Amino acid sequence: MTATTADARQTVSDTARPGLADVWEALRAVDDPEYPGVSIVDLGLVESVELAADGSSATVGLIPTFSGCPALTMIADDVRRAVVSLSDVERCDVRWLDSPVWTTDRMSTAARAELATGYTVVLRGADGSLRCPICGSRAVADQSLAGPTRCRSVAWCDDCRNPVEVMRS
Amino acid sequence: MTTLADPRAGGRHWTDLDDFQEFIDRGGMVEPGDDMPEEYRDEVFRFIEFHANSELMGGLTERDWIPHAPGLRLKQVFLAKTQDEIGHAHLLYMVAADMGVKTRDEMLEDLFSGRSRFHNVFHYQAVTWADQVAIAFLVDAAAFASQRAVFAECSYGPYKRILKRIVSEEGFHMRHGEEMLLRLATGTDVQKEMFQAALDRWWWPAVQLFGPDSPPGLADPLLRWKIKSERNENLRAAYVQKYVPLLQGYGFRVPDDDLHQDDDGRWVAGPIDWEPLKATMRQGGPDSARRIATAAANWADTAWVRDALTRHETREAHEVGS
Repeated sequence: MTATTADARQTVSDTARPGLADVWEALRAVDDPEYPGVSIVDLGLVESVELAADGSSATVGLIPTFSGCPALTMIADDVRRAVVSLSDVERCDVRWLDSPVWTTDRMSTAARAELATGYTVVLRGADGSLRCPICGSRAVADQSLAGPTRCRSVAWCDDCRNPVEVMRS
Repeated sequence: MTTLADPRAGGRHWTDLDDFQEFIDRGGMVEPGDDMPEEYRDEVFRFIEFHANSELMGGLTERDWIPHAPGLRLKQVFLAKTQDEIGHAHLLYMVAADMGVKTRDEMLEDLFSGRSRFHNVFHYQAVTWADQVAIAFLVDAAAFASQRAVFAECSYGPYKRILKRIVSEEGFHMRHGEEMLLRLATGTDVQKEMFQAALDRWWWPAVQLFGPDSPPGLADPLLRWKIKSERNENLRAAYVQKYVPLLQGYGFRVPDDDLHQDDDGRWVAGPIDWEPLKATMRQGGPDSARRIATAAANWADTAWVRDALTRHETREAHEVGS
């Protein structure tokens, strides 16, 4: 699989400015509250990280998967806590950005893999097709647009007879 | 990384119940395509149906409070929680219906006519906003503990996969519960009194959610076949031990006159009157009739949506076929 935007962005920022790498590392340890074990960096929620020249304050720009996501306050709290826990950083501002809009393209390969094997949640292929994350079958049919969360719909695999949840873009 | 993926799609057969038990004891996971013993199928089906019913009834309760939640953000939280619970019910009914014991419609008809069961906590009335906070803080936590214990060893593959996501989402609900409780606990005297009154109403139903002691040894087929991984009394004891100090720390009184600490300093609940739990299992709880009637009316009111969807699908199939 080719590197996704989330993979690429981190590489650029890591090499761009020393010090920023530490902030990214701290953010990498923040999991999505609904997917323990999947980092918000890997989900592609972190758009920008700025660090003041003296390193005392940071600004993190986040984008929500869906507006109306009930986890936004929690994610912002977790981000602030993680960044402020770095030595020298006294303050962290979190901004929710209106653009760019989140799509599943922003998810890293690691997030895709953990969602598929750990949560049996999949992404739709570029042609809109689905492949069962449990048995690999293509006999997966959409069931309902609304799943248990804003960011997922529900499908059914006819081969292994399991419900399959699909990340929505 | 844990993996819930399994490329092999069932088709196994066991010579007898002993052979099956050995498979379960080795940590085997049963898949829908397996030729599972009928007794196992019935137990697992009943358990998942009960869980599905409880998610649906719980979701409808959350929904009732969307207009009353104080502030836009909490309305958003309750909207999302409602979608969560209804979504969980949807997934569970899919897996239950696939087991071939009852169709989805039959399960819903049984629920709405009072023939099948759901969690005791959804047979009580939420009187004030503080009740809803108590439900989020106490009841969600009890449900979370009980679901996590089912997930731990769950021997039925499709159920275990759904539970992974349910447990993650319930953990997230609990954080909302803590946040809402903190607001009341650090609020005005009126807010504190409101929560104490709610705690007086919800403590015992929450403790009873775990059920009476499990029968001795492995007499409970749910334990023997690893649908449950922990005995009811152990889950209940761990819950009491965790929540008594938390509630006291926030300045509230746990409504149990016989509550005490044992020699090791662990909190132990007083004797439990199981009559209220038994009443809810007969649909005879304080709010059972109204809850069931509301759920049934809701189902009837939305019949036109299902009807329209079916007609749309039929027409599409017809157009493709012609």
